[in-house]
Amino acid sequence: MRIFRKKNGGIVQLIDKEKMQEWPVELPLIFIEYIRNKKLESYEDIKVKKGVENYLDEIMEDIAIPRLINVLEGSDVEEIILALTRLEQLSRKKIEMIRPIKSYLNNLLKLKTTKIVTLAQTISDNFAKADRKKELAKKRKIMQEKEKQFLAGKIGGEEYAKARKEYLTLKE
Amino acid sequence: MSQKKPPSLNYDLKATKKLFNEYLEKGRDKTEIKLPPDTVKIDDLDRNKTLARLYKLVDDVIEKIYNTGRPSIKLPSRATSNIKWDEENDLLLLGNQLQEKQFHTLTSVTDVTRLMRVLEIVDELLVKDIHATKREIFYSDVNLFVEQKNSDKSIEDVATMLYATRNSTHIVAAPKGTCVGRLRIRDKNDIIDLEGLGSGGWTISPMLDNIEIIESDAEFILVIEKDAALMRLAEARFWRKYPCILITAQGVGNVAVRMFLKRLSRELNLPIFSLVDSDPYGHYIHSVYLRGSKRLSYESPFLATPNIKLLGVLTKDLDAYKIPNEVRIPMNKQDKKRVKDMLNEDFVKKNKKWEEDLKLALKLEIKAEIQAFSAHGFEFLTEKYLPEKLTTGDWI
Repeated sequence: MRIFRKKNGGIVQLIDKEKMQEWPVELPLIFIEYIRNKKLESYEDIKVKKGVENYLDEIMEDIAIPRLINVLEGSDVEEIILALTRLEQLSRKKIEMIRPIKSYLNNLLKLKTTKIVTLAQTISDNFAKADRKKELAKKRKIMQEKEKQFLAGKIGGEEYAKARKEYLTLKE
Repeated sequence: MSQKKPPSLNYDLKATKKLFNEYLEKGRDKTEIKLPPDTVKIDDLDRNKTLARLYKLVDDVIEKIYNTGRPSIKLPSRATSNIKWDEENDLLLLGNQLQEKQFHTLTSVTDVTRLMRVLEIVDELLVKDIHATKREIFYSDVNLFVEQKNSDKSIEDVATMLYATRNSTHIVAAPKGTCVGRLRIRDKNDIIDLEGLGSGGWTISPMLDNIEIIESDAEFILVIEKDAALMRLAEARFWRKYPCILITAQGVGNVAVRMFLKRLSRELNLPIFSLVDSDPYGHYIHSVYLRGSKRLSYESPFLATPNIKLLGVLTKDLDAYKIPNEVRIPMNKQDKKRVKDMLNEDFVKKNKKWEEDLKLALKLEIKAEIQAFSAHGFEFLTEKYLPEKLTTGDWI
């Protein structure tokens, strides 16, 4: 077990990441999600929280993603479908968690198995939606900033109109 | 009698934390137990390794049939005379005396037929990767086994013949124990939170090969003899105030419970305490967790938890906590005999505090149940007795 010691003398113990090599391929991701959403806050100790966060990132980087990529690059159709089903669910909830597998989707879209293509396409679409949302938030922020500057008389109407147009175009 | 709530004091569990820190500093003992040379080594095997041993055993029998026409099987004797107490590891172990079962003698033919039938069933279970309970094994061939004690004996013989734990054969005990508290486990593809299952807790699965400990923020483990006491602690959500894992086996722990406790001890490295009735049977239950049972001595290294401490209820606690005479029970003949038997055990003689408490019980000729504390109010156990004992380190 990986041990994290609290200031008040308490501890938190998490399973060694090496043991996850034997787990079903989607399970390390479920574990990471579970600890992040359900347990992390209850640890209270800031140092422990930070340590656990880092450990979860380590699991993601060293175990969860490499194992998923291994499956996605392999030839076992059933395993690929199982992994993509789980990834599709995660892409709806927390897409940033699975960003490292994005580049592997293009190859899957070329396969002949309809189920694989459908799932890969849905995940791709979810990435596109997430990216658009991110871009929109960025443009909104710029527009709001320009609006403030315009109202303060620091910039001209043309510059503000340009920023607003960029935001509205993307929004549509 | 009015039920008074004890004053709510702040117990820091100082002694328990000290023990917990000692364990943490010492680290996990990853080295395997070194067994004495005159004892049998049993392994906890995965499916493929057990199958390999099973096929090797059958091959040997076939070879004997070809070579001599009079096959036999040798297996470690499970007679009391072959059970040894290993002082160094504090375990009851099986000695290396062997017994031979001949296929051609009238006295052993029924026994051998039953053994072969169990071997056949074990092969099926392992090949299909499924598990069966001892009861199911009996019902798979009632005419042959006649009584369940016969199939149970054959099951244990098969495990010793294979030099493997019974769990390795995929024959498991029926689910019996309960666990609740600060623990998260994995059962195949499911994550189970043992804090979130209500007062009932999680029924300890006998299919422990599917179970994995994945997270815990507990600081100690408390093994409780009785369901009723667990219910009291669960209702009080005892583990929230005092970070712990609670286990009960409703009496003597069966294989699944003891193996699960052993797993918790090995992986989490936390102090473990037992809370049993203040009577010889309660002390016996503690001893089974501590050193294993004579019947399953061949599996002791996988079932016993030598670092478990007897937290209570000790005979001396009855006076110390002013347990009224009305809830103390006089010992009967059987109780006194049991105490005397326990006092004759080497492992009790070596533990002065334990010996003293048993002698006191024999002198006072009284016993009491955990529930006797309810005489001071229902919360006395969770708000006074347990926290105080865990704070002062008053255990054996």
